[in-house]
This record gives sequence, C-alpha cells and structure tokens, in this order.
Amino acid sequence: MRYEFEKYRAFGALYRITHWVFAGSCIVLLFTGYYIYEPWFTTMLEIGYDDFTVANVRFMHFVAAYAFMGAVIARFYLWFFGNKQERITDALPVTKRNIKNFWGAILNYLYIKFHVPRLGHNALAGTTYLVTFLLSMVMIFSGFYLLFPESVQLQAWGGAIFGSQQTARFVHFILMFYFIFFAMVHIYIAIWNDVMFGEGVVSAIISGSKFLHLKRPKVD
Amino acid sequence: MDDYSENGIGALRLTRRSFIKGCTMAAAALGLSESMIPRLVSAATSPQRPPVVWLHFQECTGCSESLLRASHPDLGRLIFDLISLDYHETVMAAAGYQAEENLKNTIDKYDGKFLCVVEGAIPTKDGGVYCKIGGRTAMDILAEVAPRSAAVIAIGSCASFGGIQAAAPNPTGAVGVRDLVHGKPIINIPGCPPNPISFLGTVLHYLTWKKLPVTDNLGRPLFAYGRKIHDHCERRAHFDEGRFVEQFGDEGHRQGYCLYKVGCKGPATFSNCPAVRFNDVDQWPVSAGHGCCGCTEPGFWDTMTPFEERLPEITIPLGQGTVSTAASVGRTVMAVTAGAIGVHAAAGVVRRVTKGTAKKDEIREE
Repeated sequence: MRYEFEKYRAFGALYRITHWVFAGSCIVLLFTGYYIYEPWFTTMLEIGYDDFTVANVRFMHFVAAYAFMGAVIARFYLWFFGNKQERITDALPVTKRNIKNFWGAILNYLYIKFHVPRLGHNALAGTTYLVTFLLSMVMIFSGFYLLFPESVQLQAWGGAIFGSQQTARFVHFILMFYFIFFAMVHIYIAIWNDVMFGEGVVSAIISGSKFLHLKRPKVD
Repeated sequence: MDDYSENGIGALRLTRRSFIKGCTMAAAALGLSESMIPRLVSAATSPQRPPVVWLHFQECTGCSESLLRASHPDLGRLIFDLISLDYHETVMAAAGYQAEENLKNTIDKYDGKFLCVVEGAIPTKDGGVYCKIGGRTAMDILAEVAPRSAAVIAIGSCASFGGIQAAAPNPTGAVGVRDLVHGKPIINIPGCPPNPISFLGTVLHYLTWKKLPVTDNLGRPLFAYGRKIHDHCERRAHFDEGRFVEQFGDEGHRQGYCLYKVGCKGPATFSNCPAVRFNDVDQWPVSAGHGCCGCTEPGFWDTMTPFEERLPEITIPLGQGTVSTAASVGRTVMAVTAGAIGVHAAAGVVRRVTKGTAKKDEIREE
C-alpha cells in the first residue's frame, strides 16, 4: 500500500537543543545522583591513592545540574516565545480543542480509538511536560538548598519550604524516581508513535521536521 | 581532675584561672578575638547581671545533666556561677511551696529583666494536662513566666522543636517554645544534649552586649549552628576520596573511614560538634565511630531515623503496614512502570495479530 506524507517544520533549533541537553544532563544526574545516595564503587582497596572519587562524582552532578537548569530556563522561554508547536497554549488542555485532544490521546494510547496526529505535542504530553517542569523546579530549588548550606537566604527559603536539609534530601531523592519513570515512558511512547503513525516523531527531535498524512481528515 | 586531687574539697570553688579559661572557651566558640575576653569577664562578674529562671517541662533533664556532669568540672560550675540562678527545679535547695514562692518573687522583682531558660517540650493536647508542676500545666507556667522575661533561651531539642515527645504520632501534642511564645526574643540551643559551650557562649553574649547572637531561620545562633557537620568533619577527606565504612566493625571502620554509608546525618545537620566537641575530652559521636544522629535539626526523631540508614524509612499504605526503604519503593515504581509498558506493547502486538495492519486506513477514515 502506498502512503503519501507532507513534510512540516515542527520544532525549532533551540527547542531541539534543550531536548538533548535534558536527555544528556538527566542521564548524568540520575547516575551520579544515585551514586551520591549509595556510593557503590569506592577506593577502599587503594589506600593512599588519591583519585577523589566521590568529590568528582559530585562535581559531575553539579555541572550537569547547571546544564539542566539552563535547559529548563530555555524551555520556559519557548513556552511563551517559541513557534506554535512549542508554545504552552498549544499543548495544555485549556482550550476546547486541547481538552478534546487530551481525551483523544488517552483513548489513542489505550488502543480504543486512534486519533489524528497533530504537528505539535498532544495535550496529554503537554500536561505531562508541565508537571515535569514543576517537579524540575522542586529539584532545582532543593538542589541549591543542599548545595549552599551557608547561604542565609537559601537556608531561610529552603527551611521554610522543606523544614530541614534531611527532608529536602529525601524529597530530592524520591523525585529522582519520577524522572526515571518519565524517561522510560517518554522513550517508549515516542517509539510507539513512530511505529504506529509513521510521522517520524523520533527523528523530528533531531531534524525538526515531522510528516503528516497527505489525505488526513480536517480534525485537530 | 588536678584541682580535686591537689585541693580536695576546696576545688569546688571556682578559681579565677578556671573562670578566665571558661570565658576564653566561650569567646573562641563565639569567634571573638582574645581582646574581647576582658569584656566578657567584666560582664560575667557584673553584680547587675540578670537572674535566671530555669523551667523544666517534658524532658529527661539530660541538658542540665550534661552541663553539671562535664568531666572537666569548670565549665558546669562556671555556668551556674555565672548566671544568678533563682529557680531551677533540679538543683535548687528549696522545695514545694517555698520553691514556687521563689519563682513568683523573681518574676515580680525582676519583671522584664530576668532570663528565662526552658528545658523540655510543652504538651498542648487536652489543655496541656500531660505535664504539671505544682498543680499547674506547663502551658500555664510558660504563659505566665515567658512574657515577663527579657529573653527566652530554649535549651535542648525538646524546648526548641519538641524533641522526642513531638515525634509522630505526638500523643501529647508537644511543641517547642517558639510555637507558644511570641513577641519575646527566643533563641534555640538544640541538641540532645546541646554542647554546654554553645549555651555558655549565648549567655555570655547576652550579658556582654545585652542582646542575643545572630541566628539562622530556626532561631539557632550562627556561631554554633552556622555550618554543616559534614563540612568540617575530621572524616570528610575519606568521603571525598570514596573511602567508607560499609558495616560497623569492618576494616574501613577500623581505619576510621567515612560513616556516610552507615547512616551518618552530618550532611544534613548544622552544629559545631566537630570543632568544639564535648566535655573537654575531644570526643563527639563521629570520632567515637558512630554517625551523627542529626539531633540539632527539627523533627530529627522522624526524619533522621533509622540512625544507621541514609534516608528515612517510609510506610507504604498497602498491605499490613509494610515498612520499606525509600529506595525499594522507587524500585517498585520502576518495576510497575516497566510492567505497564510491557502490557501496553503486548496489547499492540495482539491487536495487530487479530485485526491485521489496517491502522493507517482507520486514521484516514476518522
């Protein structure tokens, strides 16, 4: 069977860069973060050999955290000043069109009724990104609270929100599992969409272009 | 020790030398130069120094004990000589009606001038009936005494944040002084027990400059609680190098490696323990081979336990009160996620097998 597709520009360069900075920094953050919780490889057998193992892992964590924070700021900017697909209004279930799309996406993923792919994200994905953004803010803030224990302002604000360093650490650790959960689902759903609809959604985050069916109905 | 053996009972008197030594230790703890010591000394010997009312509520008296039973006796004696202690339920000679009369007289005579030291949490549930002294509840006594004092010093974690009495489920509704007293300067000297030097430094600071030292957002003086234990711990180099005690008694433990992996709470706890140490014998928990328990932090019985694990255990509200570590909850989440993805993918395969590959036509029809 022969299908015809039209090529569209979906995502701009900055958007794609933030995506890959997220991907790279999250991998580093998750591995080094778990290591900071449980330093499983150590220099126990190398007494007198200074390789600064934990200090180096912490350094990588902090550098990756700053990269992650930069990407969060850029993504926040694009929510308001990006192209149509990148804007927050395009993907949050706040308009009639998006509310319909939100439920459509759920039915779609349950194999009940396939919806027509749109150029940007569906509203379910957009909502998930908003939740992830808010949790990223909690991660960033608890991270700074833990990183600068002698900053009077940070200790006052962090103390008011988290109570103590230990609670902030606990929150920071528990939220790590959300990001693992997000990464797993995100990669699976992206590949699933690519397999099901042939719109090239995986390569879209590299090339910026997506493909839509030429004879798609006028929904969306 | 030398004082006792050389001078016998006479050593119970505080010598000038010991007195200056105590003031010097407090000045060092406060981060003051030695040129300030004469000011501390003259303030501490001034006949106008304010009397102290020491209230005991829901507590074990461990804070007073740690002041009194310092192995080097000078410090405890200095504190009790330095402050004009008009009312202290553990050490005062008066009892019964006479004791309560002393309290009343001090409050009336030095209205707005005396220092109020509180040791122990204050139960608030059921009208505060869980702690009564002389037939009155702790809440009553605090409400009468604290507003008429010049300042309140909460000594120990109980008076500061509620301590073990306030641990979940907090059956007596215990709270710290800060939750009940408002409009008075309050300073917290948390710890279980706190270091006597931190208390002495605070009192001397007040006597010398007539104001309380600068505090953090939890009311703890920054000179004693301004830095994390982890950041000036003698084992910190082993942490950065990745040399850890894996379990108590192993080779790493014998080598004096970092106690992080056996639950040290130093990375989450603010205190001067590694620098000032306890009882003039240069000891504190980490140098003795056990991790910090985080006793100077609010709610440490709830957030720092189990003391030999990095992060608190959390209860899963399923099954019969299953207790699991936070990490295993996370692993469960991972497993469920992987399972859900597998089921979803399998459903797609089944659908394709049963319905054929008509997906794209369906889309076009919609």
